Amino acid sequence: MATARPVVSIYNFENPSEKTGTMPMPVVLQSPLRPDLVREVHRDMAKNKRQAYAVKPKAGYDTAAESWCTGRAVARIPRAPGGGTHRAGQAAFGNQARGGGMFNPTTIWRRWHRRVNVTKKRHAVACALAASALPPLVMARGHKINQVAELPLVVSDGIQSLTKTKQAKEALKKLGCGEELQKVIDSKSIRAGQGKARNRRYVKRLGPLVIYNEDNGITRAMRNIPGVECAHVDRLNLLRLAPGGSFGRFVIFTEGAFKKLSDIYGTLKSGAPKKKGYTLPRAAMANADLARIINSTEVQSVLRPKMERYTHGIKRNALKSKELMEELNPGSTERRAVHLKSSQKGTPEYDEVQKKKKARIEESKKYNKEHKKGDETFYKTLMKAFEAKAAADAAKKAAEKADDEEDEE
Amino acid sequence: MAERYAISKVNVPEGAAVPELVKMKMEKEEKLAEEKKQALAAKQKAREEERAKLKERTVAYEKEYADTAAELVKLRREAKLNGNFFVEPEAKLIFVVRIAGIMKMSPKPRKVLQLLRLKQLHNGVFLKVNKPTLNMLKLVQPYVTYGYPSLKTVRELIYKRGFGKVSKQRIPLSSNDIISDALGKHGIHGMEDIIHEIYTVGPNFKQVSNFLWPFKLSSPKGGFVNKRHGYCEARGGDWGNREELINELLGRMN
Repeated sequence: MATARPVVSIYNFENPSEKTGTMPMPVVLQSPLRPDLVREVHRDMAKNKRQAYAVKPKAGYDTAAESWCTGRAVARIPRAPGGGTHRAGQAAFGNQARGGGMFNPTTIWRRWHRRVNVTKKRHAVACALAASALPPLVMARGHKINQVAELPLVVSDGIQSLTKTKQAKEALKKLGCGEELQKVIDSKSIRAGQGKARNRRYVKRLGPLVIYNEDNGITRAMRNIPGVECAHVDRLNLLRLAPGGSFGRFVIFTEGAFKKLSDIYGTLKSGAPKKKGYTLPRAAMANADLARIINSTEVQSVLRPKMERYTHGIKRNALKSKELMEELNPGSTERRAVHLKSSQKGTPEYDEVQKKKKARIEESKKYNKEHKKGDETFYKTLMKAFEAKAAADAAKKAAEKADDEEDEE
Repeated sequence: MAERYAISKVNVPEGAAVPELVKMKMEKEEKLAEEKKQALAAKQKAREEERAKLKERTVAYEKEYADTAAELVKLRREAKLNGNFFVEPEAKLIFVVRIAGIMKMSPKPRKVLQLLRLKQLHNGVFLKVNKPTLNMLKLVQPYVTYGYPSLKTVRELIYKRGFGKVSKQRIPLSSNDIISDALGKHGIHGMEDIIHEIYTVGPNFKQVSNFLWPFKLSSPKGGFVNKRHGYCEARGGDWGNREELINELLGRMN
């Protein structure tokens, strides 16, 4: 992520306007943010504190009920035996029956707990710590940190020795947590749901989580302040760092605790000294600035240039569109113009055509005069066929008439 | 290729500081724009040369068509003069139109129609006339009508309904560039070249005809006579060879 480790100021717990020193930010607080991981691990870890519930094993089946079978004008459901009481003959056992067992009775051997891989749990805690160092995420979670000087908020070790709640409250207020603490007090309300009757009457928001290294009274001082929780840096709980699965809890470190973070988690190179075989999570992308990567010379130099798309537009008909015809058939407009001219009187093209026509008619007449005269005309040659037949018919008729006359005589 | 570079204009407000990446992008785009300009100029020049050549070829084709027609007239007259019979040249080119739908088609004719690229009703393709194609047409006689298209029909089909097969897509022939890119290596650079190759059934007929996507014709205005029967039957019909009279039908289908 970041190239150089930023430096965090340590605030004097008695007089927070003055800074007692600085410290480089531990590498944990620069872990990649993985809300999905935190949510998943929190979901599974939160299941581990559950207590089993179930209906009694015999619930609904503690009768000697038997079905009356058919033939008695009643439904076939098992019925309680005996007599002398309302219960006799009443339906039993089925989930639909009054006093019967439930469908799919809840069992105590339901899998209540979940195991989570240790590395996953450790990554989730690292992630949640990193989120607590980012003001926008902490504000998004709902904490009022407008008056807080810096995130991560590191306070000098003196705060660990506070014994009185009054003093602790003063110290927190001076550090700028006043608004936060007030938010918690204002948020106390009666729980919705049956929990109110089960010794979980009130709900309120969560305030800051104070992470300390040496408990010289701080837990007892802070424990009665509504909303404030304390945690030892060696034993950080994801359920407290990311309540409800949302990371970005407002965290206040003491100087010792902050220093110890580097000792516990180490760096990406060294691994975590206090957690065997564990190294902090690495980001999936070392450089997540996509715009810069894409526009870098290394990438751009091997890309081919962006091309315009082929657009063919709507197909037009060249037989109707003169421009398109000229485009597809160069010179067609010229030729067409010349051709049209030949039908306009007075143009040389027109005269040319008329000349040819005249010549053709002359030729035809000459040919006809030569080859088609006398008996060679079309009509005569056509009629020759009919005349032959007509002559034959006439001869036949004359012969018949001659026969008839002979017969008469 | 450089003619198609997509140059994006980066708008920098007056007097504003230009970020480093934006500056890099502007320089890059400038260089590409320069290349594009040169490529476009070269393309324009090449285009003008091509068009001049195409114009010459078109004029030659027109003359060729007129000459062949005149030659035939001359030979017919000569024959009549000498009292001989002129045997008309057999047709070289056939245009086939699928008449039947796709339902209930037996496998063999179905396959032949697929091979002829007649996969849809009223699809049409140009075919060379030779023994194999004639035998194929014999197999699908009742499902197609075909005949010998005239020059006018060929021109109108290609100009109005001409689409080319460009990287397996059906692209309208809206520009000679499309034709040149696909068929340039066979010496076909424009619409008139295509028409000439098809009509005269030249040496590259197969490539040109295959480049042309099967023609999707409309139903004939005025209708068919009776698709169930053959054209040559006395009762009147539509399928089979209708020789020159295909032009009348195509005039109504185009």
